[in-house]
Amino acid sequence: MKRTLGWFLWAAVSVVAAVALGVVALTRGEAIDSMWLVLAAACTFALGFRFYGKFIAARVMALDDTRATPAERLRNGHDFEPTNKWILFGHHFAAIAGPGPLVGPVLAAQFGYLPGTLWIIAGAVMGGAVQDFTILFASMRRDGKSLGEMAREEIGKVGGFTALVTVLLIMIVLLATVALVVVNALKGSPWGTFTIAATMPIALFMGLYLRYVRPGKVLECSAMGFGLVVAAIFGGQAVAASAALGPVFTLSGTALAVAIIVYGFFASALPVWLLLAPRDYLSTFVKLGVVSMLAVGILVVRPHLQLPPFTRFTDGTGPIFGGKVFPFCFITIACGAISGFHALISSGTTPKMIARESHALRIGYGSMLLEGFVAVMAMIAASVMQPGVYFAVNSPAGVVGATPQAAAATISSWGFPVTAASMESLARAVGEKTLFFRTGGAPSLALGMAHIFARAGGRAVLGFWYHFAIMFEALFILTLIDAGTRVGRFMLQDMLGHVAKPLGRTSWMPGVIATSAAIVAAWGYFLYQGVRDPLGGINTLWPLFGISNQLLSAVALCVGTTILIKMHRARYIWITGIPLAWLVVVTFTAGWQKIFSPLANVGFLAHAGRLGARLESGAAAASQAAEIRRLILNDRLDAVVCGVFLALVATILLDSLRVWAGILRGTRPATLNEASFVPTKLDRESL
Amino acid sequence: MKRLKKLGALLAALLRELADESAYRRHLAAHGRAHSGAEWRRFSDQRLRARYTRPKCC
Repeated sequence: MKRTLGWFLWAAVSVVAAVALGVVALTRGEAIDSMWLVLAAACTFALGFRFYGKFIAARVMALDDTRATPAERLRNGHDFEPTNKWILFGHHFAAIAGPGPLVGPVLAAQFGYLPGTLWIIAGAVMGGAVQDFTILFASMRRDGKSLGEMAREEIGKVGGFTALVTVLLIMIVLLATVALVVVNALKGSPWGTFTIAATMPIALFMGLYLRYVRPGKVLECSAMGFGLVVAAIFGGQAVAASAALGPVFTLSGTALAVAIIVYGFFASALPVWLLLAPRDYLSTFVKLGVVSMLAVGILVVRPHLQLPPFTRFTDGTGPIFGGKVFPFCFITIACGAISGFHALISSGTTPKMIARESHALRIGYGSMLLEGFVAVMAMIAASVMQPGVYFAVNSPAGVVGATPQAAAATISSWGFPVTAASMESLARAVGEKTLFFRTGGAPSLALGMAHIFARAGGRAVLGFWYHFAIMFEALFILTLIDAGTRVGRFMLQDMLGHVAKPLGRTSWMPGVIATSAAIVAAWGYFLYQGVRDPLGGINTLWPLFGISNQLLSAVALCVGTTILIKMHRARYIWITGIPLAWLVVVTFTAGWQKIFSPLANVGFLAHAGRLGARLESGAAAASQAAEIRRLILNDRLDAVVCGVFLALVATILLDSLRVWAGILRGTRPATLNEASFVPTKLDRESL
Repeated sequence: MKRLKKLGALLAALLRELADESAYRRHLAAHGRAHSGAEWRRFSDQRLRARYTRPKCC
């Protein structure tokens, strides 16, 4: 009876999913209720988890609850500790949720809400969740080994080393991209700049408080920090209105970029307990709180989507970034659908804390579905704005015109009416001087979120919620920059240690300073070129980041496929093989187009060629010549970076193919590097 | 009501886990030590050193 009821329930969920997806996909010419997107995502994810996830867990991985996990076998009270599955689910979700699933969908909304939403739903179920689950399973069976270690052991030394270099390069592009998002959000915004600047002394205070005043009271300290940050948001409003302080905190993009670069250098060299860790704690709580608030806000307000399902920019002429919906929608939304970085988390802390093998399904597969849901919410937040406002905020001056009037006229001519006066009124309502040309995704996401949150409190609180959302985004982006620079430094030291031993020592100060400077200089260069780019920079850096992140996914899926073959599950390699093939097609197409497309709004080399022709024809003023030469150099550098990413991943792919062919032909042993089976002694009650 | 209480307890446990407070309790229990400022600093240094050698997710 229970079984029959269960089947009826799942049949009902399937019908609701089909109807919701139908409404989302087929409605044209009218604003649809955002609940249809929520229902389509929630029901499809539930079906994916119940049927696809469980199928992989039972048939492919054969998860075994009688087998002791590393958390039990290697229990040490620190890293290895059997943990309640729900607590670990929250822990893992907090670790994988960063700015990516929020910003990516906002940028991809230039194609309309439909392509991005469908990709998030399908990509998360068939790709992202499969990747996270597979890598988590593989790491759990290998005592919590990292992705790099597994690549080296399962594929070979070439694959392992290439994976390490790939991760380091991707980190550099990632840090530059997210730093540019913050710069563009704070440019010319004294309210935002003051709020974010205030988080630094607040974090220092928290660090000292936690270390010397009330050691160990992290929750208490974080609650105080949150109170102070909210006070800083109110303080920011007063600062912006002040004739004396307002100009001090009104910074240009270049000044902000320099400030973040200097900050990144010092933050990566300071003791972690002083600045990074307290802000990381605070950022984690704020992130979980805001994501929950956004979910509740959408459910309560049920806003209607103002963006159309498709815009004219599917043809590749978009103002936010150039390129057609295929492949660029699929690399712009990375983290919400599939993200290589998740593989680093799934082979990090989480596998060391899983109490039972069966929990890996909920934690690995389930957390990614929740991340997909966050991405759908970000898509909703971007789509509830009037399209004219969305494009006015996200389009660079170099595309739509340098003045508000010119930009409004260009955007209106695309069929998305907007006026300079209405934008000015909106800017005043959120406490900004202007909302034109605020590229990067963060300001428009903040506007969308503020729009949803403020429905409860009226337009008067719009400014608070806008700056609250900006603070929330900047808080974890700065944490990412601190931590990323530090990790990049460790990786570089690890590599250089093979060349000169002292450089590998993390306690040798000259080595620490030199490697920190090298990492900061690397991402700082890309950030600086992005800030100086007349097209806003994000149109270059975000696709580069998307390509690199998806390529890291391809590396993870190569490892996953190799392990499936070695487990004698070759008949199931389509599980990782299909997302891998899709990512290879998408990323190599996008990468190829970014380098070689003859269209100057897409291809780096074509853009450099157009600038070169302008220089040679004498059409550019002499004063602009140096600037144009710099842009040409940057285009060529971006093309090289993109080419290096493709070459690195092609290396891993070919190496993997060689290994797979050898095993399938029987010329290579299918040696699995799993830890030996040890029966569990944990009883169900103790969990 | 009972379920609500259970949910509240679970959320509190999650927050303590995210704040490393649970890990600290486990550390004290595993080593048979009492809480002190010096002990927290020792635990925190070790834990943070391990945490920030791994990349954070984007």
